[in-house]
Parts: sequence; structure tokens; C-alpha cells
Amino acid sequence: MAIKRSPGPPADQPDRWEAQLRKGALEMATLASLWRGRLYGLEIIRFLEAQSRLVLAEGTIYPILSRLKDEALLTSEWVEADAGHPRKYYALTNDGRDRLRLMAAAWVDFSSGLDQLIQPILQPEEVLQ
Amino acid sequence: MNPTFTSDQQQIEQFLTALRANLGPIALPERGEILREIEAHIHDSMELTGQSASAVIAKLGSPQQLAADYRDGALVRAASYSFSPMLLLRATLRIATKGLSGFIVFLFALIGYLTGISFLITAFLKPFFPDHTGVFAAHHRIYDIGILFPIPAPPIHEVAGFWFIPASLAVASAILILTTVVIRQFLRLSTTVQQKLDGYHPAFPTPQPSSPSR
Repeated sequence: MAIKRSPGPPADQPDRWEAQLRKGALEMATLASLWRGRLYGLEIIRFLEAQSRLVLAEGTIYPILSRLKDEALLTSEWVEADAGHPRKYYALTNDGRDRLRLMAAAWVDFSSGLDQLIQPILQPEEVLQ
Repeated sequence: MNPTFTSDQQQIEQFLTALRANLGPIALPERGEILREIEAHIHDSMELTGQSASAVIAKLGSPQQLAADYRDGALVRAASYSFSPMLLLRATLRIATKGLSGFIVFLFALIGYLTGISFLITAFLKPFFPDHTGVFAAHHRIYDIGILFPIPAPPIHEVAGFWFIPASLAVASAILILTTVVIRQFLRLSTTVQQKLDGYHPAFPTPQPSSPSR
């Protein structure tokens, strides 16, 4: 009996996959941005823009910060600034530092395994023929 | 008054009003804090980049999406520490739309609560319809449990008597507690579900990969 081949992925599949991938990395990146010291939301966004290609709607970062704070990985503090309004600064807690170390190790493990797996795919095509 | 300033200020107010309107179930102090932080972001970003309020606001994403991101996190978080069936059902219903495991948990929650409530109702109705309500059996085999209209023909008869009321209440409590505990554990442990709920949304749609020329 012939097996009917399933249709290809919908046209938006690669984009959705990439978005999921970036989103998954964003939580670790947010924690990592605070490794050297406290920052406020806009500084975190600027830092992520400069250090990584995690292009994101800037608003995305704030609900993540709120959740990380609820999980006690971050603390926050309103600090008066010259700007005329206070800014909400975030800093890693000890739990946050521990979690970030684990995440970084898991990330390296994960990506080095995948790098090996996909290496043949990225080689020039004539090699395959 | 400087007209540009007014227009900027109006746009900021509009954005914050839309955000506030969509933050619904989030506790009032937390809501105030969110609005304060986003407002500070808009002012800082305008100052830093020299861009207009509308440009800075456009980079934030829509107020509806931003509020939804806050709400999803808050709902699941609040529910995972709650005993309220309504809150737990709402949280599982939201997760149900995001994947198979969520859907299964939602079904479990629905069936659990409905079964528990049915036992409560039968216990409540026993004094009013004593012959119709209870455990019906014949020849030491259970035929049915619940409320039966009409009463089944002999030899099937009701065997529990008024013991049915405490027994039914106990079973109802056990089922409701078990359902609650399982849902709370699921909501609390399932970090992948939480990540799914964060709803990543890029500011700029990723360009479609250009197809090679033929």
C-alpha cells in the first residue's frame, strides 16, 4: 500500500521555528546581560542589541523581567535618576547566578552537539555529489 | 505650548491607557508598577535616540500583545498557588490552546471538576429523593451510582441508605482535591508551558528567504 506523503511544512514554519529559538534564548540572554551588574530595562535591551542578534519587540523583555523576578532569579529597585523620573534597576540574585551558570553550561553542551550534526549540511553542495 | 510635545504626550498616554485596559486580572499595585516602568522606558528611549514617541512606541510592540505577555505569566503563576477552580480552569484553558499536553490537562481538569461536582450534587439530592439516589445493586453487583429516574426494577435496589451522603461527600472531596493538586503541580512544574506562554513577537517580520533564481 502506498504511503501518502504528508504535505510540506506551512510557508511560515521556518520563521516560527526561528522565533521560538530566539524566544527560548532570550531568557538566558536577559539573565546574562546582568552578569556584570545591575541594569534597567532599556539598558538590557541596548545590551542585547549590541551583543547578540536577538532582534525583538522591545516590549517583550519587560514581561520576562517580571517573571524572572517572581521566580526570585532577579531583584528590582527603583532608583532616582537625572532624567527626572526613577528607573527600575534589575540585579541577579544568588539563585539567578546559579541558574545562569547551569543554563550556560547546558547551552554549550546543546549547541556543540548540534554544530557537529549540521556541519555536513552547511558544506558546499558539490562535495555531496 | 509646544505642539510636538503635546502630540508625543498624547501618544504616550494613549499607549499606556490601552496597556492599562488590557492588564485586567493583574493585581493593582503590580499594574501600577508595570505602567510606571513602561512609561520610564518610553521617556528614556526618546531621550537616548532622539526619536518621536510614535517611533519608540512602535518598537515596543502592540499594547495588547505586551499586556497579554504580562497576563499569561501572571495568570499561570497566580493559578499555580490558588485553590480556586475557576482560576485553575482558566489557566488550563489558556494552556490548552498552546499544545497537546495543555489540552490533556484541560480535559483532566474539566472531567475532574465535573465528576467531583456530580458527587456533591447526588449527596445533596439524597434527602430529597432517597429512593432515586444512591448505590443501586443486585446480587452483590453494583448496577449504577447516582440519581436514577425511574427507580430500577427489582431485584436492583438501593443499598447505601443514608450512608450514601457522607460517602459521596468524601469521594467528591477526594476527587476535587486530587484534581486541584494535579493541575497546580502541572502549572508549577511545566516551565516549557510558561515559555510557550511568553509569546515571542519580533518587532520586524523576518524577511522571507529569497528563492534562488532559476
